[in-house]
Amino acid sequence: MDFAQNLVTTFNFILQGVGVTIGVTLVALAVGLVFGVTMAMARVYGNPLLQAIAAAYSVIIRAVPVVVIIFILFFVIARFVNLSPFWAGSLALGFTSGAYQSEIFRGAFRAVPSGQMIAARAIGMSKLQAIRSIILPQAVRLALPAWGNEATLVLKDSTLVFVVGVPEILRRAQQVSARTLEPFVAFSVAMLLYLVLTLLTTQILQWFERRYRLQM
Amino acid sequence: MKKRIAMGLLLIAALLALSACAAVQPTTQQPGAAPAEDSGKLAQIKAAGKIVVGTSADYPPYESIDADGNFVGFDMDLIRAIGERLGVEVEIQDMPFDSLIAALQEGKIDAVIAAMQATAERDEKVDFTIPYRMTKDAFAAAQDSTLVMEKPEDAAGHSIGVQTGTVQERWVQDNLVATGLTPADKVFSYERADQAALDVANGRIELLLMDAEPAMELAKQTGLKILLITESTAEGGKSIAIPEGASDLKAELDRIIQELIDDGTIQKIQETHGLP
Repeated sequence: MDFAQNLVTTFNFILQGVGVTIGVTLVALAVGLVFGVTMAMARVYGNPLLQAIAAAYSVIIRAVPVVVIIFILFFVIARFVNLSPFWAGSLALGFTSGAYQSEIFRGAFRAVPSGQMIAARAIGMSKLQAIRSIILPQAVRLALPAWGNEATLVLKDSTLVFVVGVPEILRRAQQVSARTLEPFVAFSVAMLLYLVLTLLTTQILQWFERRYRLQM
Repeated sequence: MKKRIAMGLLLIAALLALSACAAVQPTTQQPGAAPAEDSGKLAQIKAAGKIVVGTSADYPPYESIDADGNFVGFDMDLIRAIGERLGVEVEIQDMPFDSLIAALQEGKIDAVIAAMQATAERDEKVDFTIPYRMTKDAFAAAQDSTLVMEKPEDAAGHSIGVQTGTVQERWVQDNLVATGLTPADKVFSYERADQAALDVANGRIELLLMDAEPAMELAKQTGLKILLITESTAEGGKSIAIPEGASDLKAELDRIIQELIDDGTIQKIQETHGLP
């Protein structure tokens, strides 16, 4: 009885972190998508300067632990704009995810046969037009499986934004465990919630994959 | 061609790294560099109508979060009492203990109350108010331990656990290891105190040295016994940390803390949280 009650209160308490975790993940994925697609385009179709910038972004960001980037961005950005911890943490996570997503999309762009770009240019499309209406729709579909993997990684990396004070699932579990001194219960609940969230993410993305499959 | 691209990449990487350093460097220098801004800290807080206070809410009975999500504990009641006398609202921001000083330096928070002791190292980066509570440490051992301790040095030669980055860890290093009383491989540093307590309970190590009140709470939960409570390993009292050079804020907080000590308010708050 005591145990069950403890479990229920613990569960309810940690559950309030789910909204924050989902929020951070969605913002980070969206920001990362913008960075990722832009950088991948620069890397594959840009001039040498753009290529170099995009490559440097990808190499450097992927070489640094995510938590370090979050910490630096929070305290550096905070100088110029007064961002709340939630936004600073989410944007930093998105900036990081962008580097990984740029690699995913780079591969996807490359997987679209290069003859299509030549053909599109031959019928008078500009480079940007060709990317937008010929290459990108195919590349996005090709990128989906790998992107789904990145989505689950970002979901779990969202635990890191707590270093700047965002009370997501894991931090709430730590708070409960500090109060009740029952780490096993607290972290089991956290694990269960992450499991549910990850399964949901995978399901949603698989639906997208099926729905928008390339008919080749 | 390939070589040139590689060179270009290296150059850009170097530039980025440099600019990152340049951007980060002021972090450590800012406190001394901007006295003009700091001297207005108190006015700034009063104008905003609230003081943003950082804490690490995983350290009962000083600070924790109850089942309804409220910040509770001795420190939390104290800072609210201080806010009341200051005439401003208190906004509490939860962070890991390690992030608190950096957040304070960067102006993300106005003060830190987290059972923090004003050690010399921390004092170089931020300022501290007068102590609001003196600190005691406790040595704990397993229930069936036959060890008897009359003074901290009696721990010599026994395996001992401490929390990383704490004053207790430094005391053990300075007074037991450096003096040759305890071999270095008999000292174990844990990320959190409760992990050390579990190892004592399981017989992996003999002793645990930490803050007295959380130690008593832990001892109750994990079935340890307290061998000795002492002031001589502690470095002083717990203080509120404020930005370096915020002298007006320090003067005001010192005055209020002294007032709260003198009129018995702190004594009362201590009693509600079962602190001696």
